[in-house]
Amino acid sequence: MPISSFFGMQTSLRGLIAQQRLLDTTSHNIANASTVGYSRQEATLSASLAQQIQTSGSANQTGAHLGHGVDVVGFRRIRDTFIDAQYRAQNTNLADWNARAANLDNAELSLAEPGDTGINAQLTKFWKAWSDLANNPNDDAAKQAVVQQAQGLTDSIHSVRSQMVAAQQGAMGEYDQISKVPGGEIAMIAGELADLNTSISKFVINGDHPNDLMDRRDLLLDKLSQYGQISVEQLDGGSLNVSFVDGTSGTAYPIVSDKTSTWAGPPAGGWSPGGQMGGLLEVGRSPGGLVDGYLASIDSFTSALATNVNAAYGGTFFTTGAPAGSTIAVSAPIQAAPASITSGSGGTGSNDLALAVSRLVGNPAVDGAYKAFVAKVGGHLNEATRQQANAQVLTDSVENRRQSVAGVSMDEEMSNLVRFQRAYQASARAMSTMDEMLDVLINRTGRVGL
Amino acid sequence: MRITTSMVQRNVLADLNSLSNQLAKTQAKAASQKEISRPSDDPFKASQAMGLRSGIGANEQYVRTIQDATGWMDSTESALGSISDYVERAHTLLLQGSTDTSDAASRKAIATELTQIIEGIKQSANASYGGKYIMAGTAIDTPPYQIGANDAYQGDEAGLDPAIAGIVREIGPGVSMTINTVAREVLGDGQAAADNKLLHTLRNVVDHLNANDGPALRNDSTAVQAHVDKLLGVRARNGSQTNRLEAATTRLDQISLALTTQLSNTEDADIAKTMIDFNSQSAAYQAALRAGANIVQSSLMDFLR
Repeated sequence: MPISSFFGMQTSLRGLIAQQRLLDTTSHNIANASTVGYSRQEATLSASLAQQIQTSGSANQTGAHLGHGVDVVGFRRIRDTFIDAQYRAQNTNLADWNARAANLDNAELSLAEPGDTGINAQLTKFWKAWSDLANNPNDDAAKQAVVQQAQGLTDSIHSVRSQMVAAQQGAMGEYDQISKVPGGEIAMIAGELADLNTSISKFVINGDHPNDLMDRRDLLLDKLSQYGQISVEQLDGGSLNVSFVDGTSGTAYPIVSDKTSTWAGPPAGGWSPGGQMGGLLEVGRSPGGLVDGYLASIDSFTSALATNVNAAYGGTFFTTGAPAGSTIAVSAPIQAAPASITSGSGGTGSNDLALAVSRLVGNPAVDGAYKAFVAKVGGHLNEATRQQANAQVLTDSVENRRQSVAGVSMDEEMSNLVRFQRAYQASARAMSTMDEMLDVLINRTGRVGL
Repeated sequence: MRITTSMVQRNVLADLNSLSNQLAKTQAKAASQKEISRPSDDPFKASQAMGLRSGIGANEQYVRTIQDATGWMDSTESALGSISDYVERAHTLLLQGSTDTSDAASRKAIATELTQIIEGIKQSANASYGGKYIMAGTAIDTPPYQIGANDAYQGDEAGLDPAIAGIVREIGPGVSMTINTVAREVLGDGQAAADNKLLHTLRNVVDHLNANDGPALRNDSTAVQAHVDKLLGVRARNGSQTNRLEAATTRLDQISLALTTQLSNTEDADIAKTMIDFNSQSAAYQAALRAGANIVQSSLMDFLR
């Protein structure tokens, strides 16, 4: 089969077009260098199907294969799905500890310990006031001071307890905001994922690779992994099933099944989804959450305070209801008339009762219990902060590995840019060489003697 | 490993972040001079510090109580001292009156002075400290004796009768001390009660003087001398209690110093170490900034034409 004289032009043209596509891809990469979730793309080239020609010189006269230039076969994104899975697992863990640390921080702040304004300082002042009363058993000013200090103490307890409750409600409010249906953040992501699944599978069925749509879907999955532990199941045709997985029971709670959003909100009973939801539940759920335990500690410490003081006083100095921490108060008759406090069971100067109360200072059931409680709160936050730092390091290192594969390197793109530009120039040069050749053939051939 | 632009930026940022975090923590330490400002910084140390603070607070209160008790004891001592002086004077007068050279008139004159001395003794027993009668047991708002002929003790037995708690002060953890002296112990209730206490004896002396009864007066001398001794005994007891209070103060001061030192060791920042940390961290931060600025700025573009 004879070859057209313009064959070489065609080959060069293919080269030009291919280099142009490569340059386009490089521009796309550079443009998206700082796009979150973008994975770099690459044009896949392949040599065009060769043309079979007959050559007199070939060994068995069957012909030879003449190269025909280059074709752009497709554009692929460079991404490692295994690292994606690792990243999501670490991200779940990080979000869990982040949520715990942030919410326990609020709880700890409300204690104002160690310092001169916390319950510990108020307790010390309270015992001092009783000791002063023991020294001046018939002094109305000393009795007034006892009532004032007692009210200062009960106010502190009330305020710490209500701030703990606020921390608990804050955590649960955030949890609801994330998980509620409709309108929660998970529900919104689920809707978007279902839409993306629909569009992606349309392209994939046609054999296309909608790289940028897939990037967006992966980004949404990353976001979802922050809320809880997810499992992703690849379906034929490019679609995905996504569900939350309970860390303890292994039960799956579907979020997206193929092209429909199936997120129905968190289960009615308890679950341990991990991630931000898991962290928030760990802090805020009632019963069983950390803050719930703190409230119980405050209540039991408060009851112990009231019981011990009343027993030593031999009457009702403090009254408590349920829960003790928010209802403890100086008994109404004493509040109305502080002078009615009896300092001793004997004469005006006897101070055995006041002395008995002031001797409660450093009592393990009151002071000791409170100290242990503060150490517990501090211990939980301390652990959460440490784990958070660990999780951050792990997540960063996985993200680095991921970026190492999928990220855009400017230096690389720059060198590619030069490479592709040169290749383009070379193809153009090949074409103009062909052009000069044809010029000789068309314009100069047969003009002998002219 | 392939290093991409965003990796470099992320790493530079993360490093700067962690360094400036450390710097901020060290800065907070230097500013507050505290190693731990929140329980989560070190839960164990924080609870220890809280315990130490309560301990220091309780100690301060013990010191306050001891100061109050010392004042009380000093007032008691001065009241007992003036009673002693009166009794000494009474004894001298009695010796004067009991000699055979004294006649009825001079004995009457002595009797008049002695009656005044009895009033003086009762007034001394009515001494008060901070508005509280100190020798009336727990009846601190009642003067122990009335001025005039009625010699009956008006207070209560608290502190004298071991079954009734007196004025008790807590001078250390679990250490309490009864600090009051009941006037009745020495003075008694006068002639009506016939208890052979000071007032009874002195009233007898007055009667004997008025009756010009020389032999009875010579007998009375021993009785009055016995009261002088008894008073000395009470004052010695009082003094030893004051000593005990002083010893307790010294001990509390030592404990207070130990607790304060321990608290400082637990929660105060080591300034030298903090400043050295601060300097090395800020040097590291500046180095990271410089390196970061250089690595983020340069790229292949700077070298391609």
